Amino acid sequence: MERRSVHQPRIKHLAVKVGAVLTLIPVIAVGLLLYALYARGMFDSTQALTLNAPDAEGVVIGMPVMFSGFPIGQVSGMALDELGRVRIEVSVKKKDARWLRISSVFSLEKQFLGGAKIRAFSPRMQDPELPAGAERQLVSKDAAQDIPQVIARANSILQNVDEIIRPDSSFNQTLANLKSVTERMAGEYGVLGGVTGSPDQAKKVLDTVDSVNALLASLKGVTARADGVLAKTDDRMFGQGGVMDEAKRSIAQLNTILLEARDSLKKADEVLANA
Amino acid sequence: MNALHAWLTLVGQGFSEWLDAWVRVSRFAMTALIGMLSPATYNKATRLVVQKQIYFTAWQILPGFCVFAALFSYLIIEIVGITARKYGLYEYALELIVRILVLEILPLMTALFVALRTGAAINTEVALMKIQNELDALQRIGIDPMRLELLPRVVGGTISVLALTAVNIVAALWLTHLAIVDFHPWTLTDGDFTRMIGKVLDIPVLLVLWAKTLAFGFAVTVIPISEGLSTPQKLFHAPISVLRGMVRLFFSLMLIEAAALAMVYV
Repeated sequence: MERRSVHQPRIKHLAVKVGAVLTLIPVIAVGLLLYALYARGMFDSTQALTLNAPDAEGVVIGMPVMFSGFPIGQVSGMALDELGRVRIEVSVKKKDARWLRISSVFSLEKQFLGGAKIRAFSPRMQDPELPAGAERQLVSKDAAQDIPQVIARANSILQNVDEIIRPDSSFNQTLANLKSVTERMAGEYGVLGGVTGSPDQAKKVLDTVDSVNALLASLKGVTARADGVLAKTDDRMFGQGGVMDEAKRSIAQLNTILLEARDSLKKADEVLANA
Repeated sequence: MNALHAWLTLVGQGFSEWLDAWVRVSRFAMTALIGMLSPATYNKATRLVVQKQIYFTAWQILPGFCVFAALFSYLIIEIVGITARKYGLYEYALELIVRILVLEILPLMTALFVALRTGAAINTEVALMKIQNELDALQRIGIDPMRLELLPRVVGGTISVLALTAVNIVAALWLTHLAIVDFHPWTLTDGDFTRMIGKVLDIPVLLVLWAKTLAFGFAVTVIPISEGLSTPQKLFHAPISVLRGMVRLFFSLMLIEAAALAMVYV
């Protein structure tokens, strides 16, 4: 098979185009490298801060230090000191260092999802600024740490709930009783039915109340009559010419009779003495 | 017993052929590498051929392929972004996009595209040249086919893969910023983007990225040429040569990708 040799047409500005392609590669490679270095904070002036922590779990180099949700620095190194504690070296951007005060608190927060975060919190902004190279304690806050306890408590609560909602539990029985009571309350005899337990009983109670009412009515008549009798008695006893008046008079008469009798007796004594 | 013997012979022959082919590829790769790096290769004539190769394999396809890669990147970025937002993991979308799309998919996709467009063509061309004795003829009239025909193609292919990958990476990073930060300013800030870039793109990762891209570019041309050179001088062997070259190239690309992943993550 004959193959025609490829005739290549003359390309315009070939050298310029090839030069552009050849320049593109190093420019992009160096640009990307510089951007990566800039992103890693290579060109920012920073100040050092050392955080002491009992445990460096979840802390990685390059991890951001957040202040109010903004990254102000990052972990640049970690090492164990002679006591086995962790020294975390943090480089804080110079321009953001003013947010850190001597009263600032640093906490390591481990999350359920995603990496841990170091947070800085400055409660009093009027305090003096944190000097470069300062050492602070890193407080660890672990969202997962309390989980076992929470689960244990939740378990006991759930067990109690289980006890309560079991079909033969006293709570359920109480509810059943309450239900029957309220059902009866909603019946013909209302609350009375609920309290007495059955319509018959409630009817009896109502009958009793009726009888008591009748009794009270007759008692009323009796007391009225008794009142009349008492009034008459009063009149007879203490009224004008009543028993009391007569008695008074009788006693006065009796007194005069007794006086007369004494005189008579005196006379009789004299008679006897003279005899 | 005879059947077993025959089978073992078949397996042994197959293995030995497979090994031979790889040895051939590596031998040619070494020769090409030395040729590429020695300044003596580049006289006026070869420089022009190399320039033309760079023009055809890189400049010509740069705009079209970059537009395609940008659209593809934007699609992936949006899918990852939307899914991450649904699950409340928006801040991790950025890292996922850079790690998967920028560092892995785009270089591999570029290498595969150049392999399909340029690698297959080179394989066919070299196989036909071999079948029609053109290479020997060139040699006989005093032209070194390695310097004038083969090395320029290797240089052109490598430059092409490097340039396309570089442009695609920049485009993808810019699109990521556009789609994740600019279009949703209430979720992530410039600071988050820069911080994530700083976290993902450290010096070893960048070194592995460029080394991998360079290896892709080299493989995309060296394997087809080496396969074309070993074509038996029968016309019907041309398609078989292209087929073998492409399969070998695919496995090589995957091998390079796996090695790069292992270097970064293991």
